[in-house]
Parts: sequence; structure tokens; C-alpha cells
Amino acid sequence: MNRGVGIWRCTACGAAYFPERLLCSRCHGQTFATEHVTEGVVEEVTVVRHVLGQNEWGPRRLANVQIINGPRITVGLRDESEPGTVITLFQDGNAPFGTAKE
Amino acid sequence: MFTNATIIAAGQSQYTRRPEPGQTTHTFIRDAAVAALRDAGINASEIQGMAVTSFSLAPDTAIDLAWRLGLSLRWLLQDTNGGSSAMNMLGHALRGVETGAASSILVVAGDATGLGGYAKIAANYNIATREYLAPLGHGGPNGVYSLVTTRQMNKYGLRKSDYGHMAIAQRAWAAKNPFAVYRTPLTMEEYLSSPMVADPLTRYDCVPVVAGAQAIVIAHPDRCPHGRAPVRVRAIHNSFNYDNQEGDGLQTGISTFAHELWNAAGVTPQDIDVASIYDDYPAMVLAQLDDLGMIKDHDLAAFAQREIGERRKPINTWGGMMSAGQPGGPAGGLNGIAEAVLQLQHRAGDRQVKGARRAVTTGYGMTLYRYGGTAAAAILERTE
Repeated sequence: MNRGVGIWRCTACGAAYFPERLLCSRCHGQTFATEHVTEGVVEEVTVVRHVLGQNEWGPRRLANVQIINGPRITVGLRDESEPGTVITLFQDGNAPFGTAKE
Repeated sequence: MFTNATIIAAGQSQYTRRPEPGQTTHTFIRDAAVAALRDAGINASEIQGMAVTSFSLAPDTAIDLAWRLGLSLRWLLQDTNGGSSAMNMLGHALRGVETGAASSILVVAGDATGLGGYAKIAANYNIATREYLAPLGHGGPNGVYSLVTTRQMNKYGLRKSDYGHMAIAQRAWAAKNPFAVYRTPLTMEEYLSSPMVADPLTRYDCVPVVAGAQAIVIAHPDRCPHGRAPVRVRAIHNSFNYDNQEGDGLQTGISTFAHELWNAAGVTPQDIDVASIYDDYPAMVLAQLDDLGMIKDHDLAAFAQREIGERRKPINTWGGMMSAGQPGGPAGGLNGIAEAVLQLQHRAGDRQVKGARRAVTTGYGMTLYRYGGTAAAAILERTE
């Protein structure tokens, strides 16, 4: 697991993206700087309780998270964080996860 | 407005939750194609064009399907835009016939993924899903649209029961559709007490995956069987990646062209008798209706309670995918078009909307990351 989540910021206009883009949708620049963001604010939460074709499934908490000065991303919550909670972000593989900021 | 190209016929295969051994995507598509050609009164040898969409045709493509169906063609298309594919194919096929590229075009869509196949598709829908959503255990589109639904409830003050009106109304329509997989009437109590799938989505908010296929035939109105009204498309518009996933997903690409659509059609939402709105989730039905300008004052809750709950608006009169079943998003989209055709041709049986003359049909889909990236809408009209 790595602390923070990598996002991509257009070096020409500053627009931030996740996942990575090929061209910036605002200025169509093609150069991006990677940036590690460590915090976001939970906006909505769901608990995925049942998945088609999966007999042994444990509930998974997902959240829509607003990165400060960045994009909204979908995050796996590893705790009971609710909307409004500031969370600390980390990456497990490529995927973003979070827990409430201590 | 198309004058040389009309929709003249529709057909479908059986819809089933559990395909029998030997039933495949290909055989369901064949059954739908045969039904549509029979309905059109056109021999397979006369068909000059075909459009197809399916999540489970691979490794075959459209040309393989043409070969397997014994169709020698001069016009061929395969579409990959999910819930918008049917609308996309409709537009291309209309232009193909209108301009003389083909005199008649068969438009087909079908899937028979099975539960295991569906799970693989859901986890590998695109690179973003495979890399950033599936490892979270997002559970396919249910996880994505549960978040969208919560946003919509918060923004518009919707209650869970507001979505229930839609599930219940569509189930009542499905009771009159012999092809629907779920036809037993649904009560609000049953809806509200059904198992939670992905909060706030419960069982009846999630489309049941089925195996099946749909087909329609596009041709000159003169080819329409005697005594049947061909269906003309007054206007059709599409949108792809309308906001680069930078919004909240509560609008769809329909919002970018709705005014142009109505202007081009020369009619207003008040002129619509039947609506086929792509119903992958109840929240997205309301979003599309609002984008179309069909919800007064953007009051989604009042619309759900009065127009849908009190059955004032005939919406998804075949039961929608929520009750009839979703044979993959692509075929689900074609189902709505086929139903509009049957309604406008006054051939919808027990569910016929009396005197139906105009319909609106939509498509929505291809969840890029946080919500869908494709959308389309068309205004259809019965020609006398």
C-alpha cells in the first residue's frame, strides 16, 4: 500500500484528472504532471452488499470523494466514514482507498 | 426528418433468466431476426444491411453474424455504445436507407452472458473500471449508480418510495407483456422491504439480467405490410462523453441536445403519447425525463408520485428492463424502440395506449467511471 493517490495535472492549464487522460479536456494539452494527493472529503457512501454470481461476498463500502483542488474520485472505504468526513487516501495496487483522518 | 426510411417491423426472441443448453447469444439473435423479418414480410435474401450490438458476440463480429445468418449485404455496422447502441444503430440505419446505401436494414441486439459472463463484463467494462473500480469491489454498475442515486435523492429531495412508483408501474405494464420475465404485480410494501443490494438500491431498482434479443427492420414505407402504419423518426440526436466525467452524473448527454431535438421534430413534450426511457436504474429514468424537459419545474419527486405513481404517463410500457429483463444493455435499448413501434402501430395488445401517435425513445449507458458517457433520444411518429 502506498500513502496518497496519484492524480494527473495538466501542466498547461492546471486541470486535474483521475484516471489519467491522453489530452486535457479543457486546453487539449498533452503534458501532465503526476501529483500525490493525501486527503479528500467524503460526499456520498454506499455499501455493496450483494453481487451477481458471488455467493461469498462481504459488504464493501464505496464513496464518492472530492479531492481538495482536484477531481472527484471513487474510493473504497476501509472504515465507517460517513459523508462529510475528511479521509486519508492511499493506494492498494492502482485503486484508491481511504480511512478517516486521525 | 426521414421520408424514405421508416421502421416497419419488430420482433424478439424469448427472454429468459436461465438459458437452456444450446441457447447462445447467436441463437437468441437469430430468433429475433427471424421474428422481425417475418413481421416485416421480407425474405432474408432481400435484406441489404445489418446493424448489430452485443456484449457477448465475441470473438465473432458483425460479419461473422452475417455469415452465420446467411445474409449477403452491402451495408454492415457493429455498435459498441452499450445502452445507447440501439439508438445509435437506429440513426445510422435510417440514414443508410434514406440515402440509398441499402433498401432494407435489419437492426439486431442480443446477449446471453449468463451470470458468470456478466460478472466478467462488469469487472472489465473498460480500463478505468478494471484498474480503479473493480479492485474496490464495486460490484458492477450497481455500486456506481447507488452513489448517483444518493446524489439525486439529496439534490431533489426524493424518497425511496418515489423510485418505488416506477418499479410498481412498470411491473403493472409487464403483466401485460408475455415476454417479460417478471409479471407478478408489485406492491410498495414489497418494494420497500426488498433486500438491499447497494445502498440505497434494493432488488427492484436493479435490472434482472436475462438472455434474449430484439430486432427491428428499417425500410421504405412502401415496404410496410398492408394495413400497418410505418413509423417515421422525426428527429434523432446523440451525445458522447458530454462532460468528461467532471459533473455529478445527474444530467445526461440528452441535456446537451434536447432543445434541438424538439425543434427538429417540430413537436413538444406535451405531444408525446408514449415514452421508452432507458431504465438501467430508476434514477437515470428521472434524469433523462428531466433532461428532455418532460418534468415540470424539475420537480422529480412530484413527477414520480403523480405522473408515474398515478399512471398519468405511459412510460416503459413493455415493463422496462426492470421487469421485462435486461439482455445486456444493448438489447435492452432496442427493446424500448421496438415497444414504441408496436405502440405507434397499434399492435401492443393488452398494453396498447389508446390512439398512440408519437413516442420518445432514449438510450443511455457506457459507464466510463462515475456515470454513463453515452446518451441519445428520438421522436417517433405513426404515419397515417
